[in-house]
Amino acid sequence: MCGEAFLRRIAVPLILLIVLLAANVSAASPKPEIVGIHGQIRGREARVFFTLHDAFTPEMVEALKSGIEISFKTVVRVERVYKRWFNVPMGELTFSRSVRYDALSRVYRLHRGAGEELLPDVHSALAGMTQYEMVVPLALDVEPGKTYRAYARSRLDRVGLSEPLKSIFFFSSLWDVETEWARGYLTAP
Amino acid sequence: MNPSVQQPVETGQERERAKRRRERLAIGIVLILVAGLTFFEANLAALGGSVAFTNNIIIFALININVVLIVLLIFLVTRNIFKLLLDRKRNILGAKIRSRLVLIFIGFSLAPTILLFVAAANITTTSIKSWIGGRVGVALTGALDLARGKLEGEARLLSGLVEDAALRISPESSVQETGKALADVRQGHSPETSLLLAGPAGVVTITGEVPSGIADEILSRLKGMKFAEQAESSTTLVGDTYASAVKKIPDGRLVVAVKTLPPGEARMIREIANAYDEYHQVRLLDDPIRASYIAVLILITVLIVFAASWMGIYLARQITVPVQLLAEGTEKVAGGDLDVRLDYSSSDEFGHLVSSFNRMTADLKEMKRDLEETNLSLSTTYEELRRRTQFIETILTNISTGVIVIDRHSRIAMINKVAERMLGIKTEKVLGKPYKEVIREEHFEAIRTLSREVGEAAGKPVERQVDLTAGGKKISLRVSVTALHEDPGGYMGLVVAFDDLSQAMRLQKVLAWREVARRIAHEIRNPLTPIQLSTERMLKKYAAAHEGDPAFAECTQTILSEVGTLKHLVEEFTRFARMPAPVFKEGDLTEELRTLVETYRAAHPGIAWELEGEDGGAWFDPFQIRRAVTNLLENAAAALDGKGTVKVKCVREKELGLVRISVADDGPGIPVTDRDRLFEPYFSRKKGGTGLGLAIVSAIASDHGGTVRVRDNDPRGAVFEIEFPVLQRGRG
Repeated sequence: MCGEAFLRRIAVPLILLIVLLAANVSAASPKPEIVGIHGQIRGREARVFFTLHDAFTPEMVEALKSGIEISFKTVVRVERVYKRWFNVPMGELTFSRSVRYDALSRVYRLHRGAGEELLPDVHSALAGMTQYEMVVPLALDVEPGKTYRAYARSRLDRVGLSEPLKSIFFFSSLWDVETEWARGYLTAP
Repeated sequence: MNPSVQQPVETGQERERAKRRRERLAIGIVLILVAGLTFFEANLAALGGSVAFTNNIIIFALININVVLIVLLIFLVTRNIFKLLLDRKRNILGAKIRSRLVLIFIGFSLAPTILLFVAAANITTTSIKSWIGGRVGVALTGALDLARGKLEGEARLLSGLVEDAALRISPESSVQETGKALADVRQGHSPETSLLLAGPAGVVTITGEVPSGIADEILSRLKGMKFAEQAESSTTLVGDTYASAVKKIPDGRLVVAVKTLPPGEARMIREIANAYDEYHQVRLLDDPIRASYIAVLILITVLIVFAASWMGIYLARQITVPVQLLAEGTEKVAGGDLDVRLDYSSSDEFGHLVSSFNRMTADLKEMKRDLEETNLSLSTTYEELRRRTQFIETILTNISTGVIVIDRHSRIAMINKVAERMLGIKTEKVLGKPYKEVIREEHFEAIRTLSREVGEAAGKPVERQVDLTAGGKKISLRVSVTALHEDPGGYMGLVVAFDDLSQAMRLQKVLAWREVARRIAHEIRNPLTPIQLSTERMLKKYAAAHEGDPAFAECTQTILSEVGTLKHLVEEFTRFARMPAPVFKEGDLTEELRTLVETYRAAHPGIAWELEGEDGGAWFDPFQIRRAVTNLLENAAAALDGKGTVKVKCVREKELGLVRISVADDGPGIPVTDRDRLFEPYFSRKKGGTGLGLAIVSAIASDHGGTVRVRDNDPRGAVFEIEFPVLQRGRG
């Protein structure tokens, strides 16, 4: 069998099969998403609320309980919406949240912006990581009665492994978590 | 090293330089790539904050170098293996041994590598399993519990302090009073123990030294636990560096007692906590870790296999490239191309071999050039020699002297045409043979005498007149024999030169006979007339007196008859003696012969007269030639006695510049014994012949610068041939 025939009869179907299987596997696991974006916009700031769903898989929760630090990076954008024109960006905020279990103190150490919060159980730690209430500074003044929209996207930023494990998993990522852009309208006075 | 067969040396050097440039460029690109990737990854890690840049930059660089090198190696090995397969398919010289060597290297490296891989994978898996599944986990958990127990014990001790402090602090107490109360409670405890009062806005007052981080952490933990709103009794909190107890007082504020651990204990507890975390992480990531190790092992295995392949290819090239070059070079040399130079340099045996090959081809080229020059010189010399030989041969062919050269081994080395003709021998039959085998026995004595005299003459020529019988006739030769010697004095052979004196002697005889004839004619003619007149007078006067006497009449008639005969004889003698000098004219000899033949055909009808003649244009005296041919025709008619055939032929020998008239009859022929004297005057085989006919023919032939000879006719009879030059000297 020559090379061309091999490619046509075996390699191409094999590649297609692999692609389909990969698609099925990825479809089988729940996709992380941001839901419930809403908020208010006033003056030079927008207060945006949303929830991160299905961001923590059971393996990630187990990892969290085992002392692995998990960090998410989130981007929130605010735009003024025009019906017959391009939307105008008003402001953007990028921030990280991380959580780590302290086995000695038996607390979850949550970092979200300023300071550290010590949480007694995993549920409150997960809630702290998935419930968002963000204040986005705006570059333009808000015009009352106009339409504004908030966009948010979140992804797993870093998995804080212990030093020996970092070198082992230097080239690999344990989990790949990233949401699509989610959007929701903001209420303006 | 630049493995190629080059014609001009420059090409190989340029190729070498280009290769070096490419190599430098590749090294530069790889270095830039490694540096760039390292910087990028280090920055990524620094941004993430999880990895220290300075601690890991070397690891990044090494990993990148490895990755680039592995990619490069895989590319090169794959490329070389494909090239090798193609070479093998095209039956390129050296491809088979190269592929065999590569296979051997791969085979030798593959088995131990795979074995090592399997063993290492098993060991890794077993080690990880034994670590996470054994007593390590129990020990770490126990250690952590112990540490926590110690901290909680400390915290419980602190509970009494906060209970006491809570009793002493009332909502109405001022800050100073509160501070004093706390100080009183703390008194008698260790310096690491502190007490503080915290309200919703933060710490109100503090006794002792509490690191701010610890105070903040405790407050934060309390906030997270909603403790401030519900806890009535004291509670304990422990961290990796502290133990604490908290009690809410009625006004909602919190009394906190904190004891910080000594640095040594705190570090130990932190280590235990870290080890516990690591253990759990490893346990959680058991499979990925194993997969990761196996991936690394696979990578190393592949690297070893590819490296072995590359080494095999490299070593095979080291061996086969010079062999291939040598084979190609040898092929070219065999094809006659001696400009081949193998551009390959190495300090090993192959380098030495190639250098020897180059030296050999250079020497061969030099030798070939010398050989060509020598050949050219030899050709020139040979040509010169051949020209000279040809010149000498031409001379020898054209001179009237016969020449025979006898070499040092007494073999006949050369014989010219004149000698061939004189002696009646064929060159091809005698050339190279010892002369003793060629000469006849009767001549041995003469030759022996000559040889002896030559030996005694010490290099000087020896001349002798020798009479021989050759070709059925006797000839007189003047023989000159000279011994040849090389410059150093070595004997080379003999040169025998000889001239035919027969013709000269014959001419001398003719001249002598002419003189004799003239004198005889003169002496005889004078008395003949008186004798004739006297006899006629006697007859007239005494005839009547002796009438009836038959004797008288008979005697007188006899006298008159014999006188007449004598007169005729005298007339012939006179004519022979006074032969005039020939008057040459250009004429057609064949036409002259035709006239004569017609005359004789009419006179002798019983004889068949045949004439065969070519273009007979020549210079000759017509009168004398007619007379000579008439004599020959007369003799032929007489020999045939009225019956037979006479063939007259006129042939021109263009190469020799001669014309030959031959008269052949089928009569009884001429005995060999008579032939020597046949052309002498007064030798006649006819009854009543004067014996001057053939002498006259010989004289005419001589006067024309030619000769006359006789030979046997085939099958019977005799042939007379007159030869003389077509163009007479000084004419034409």
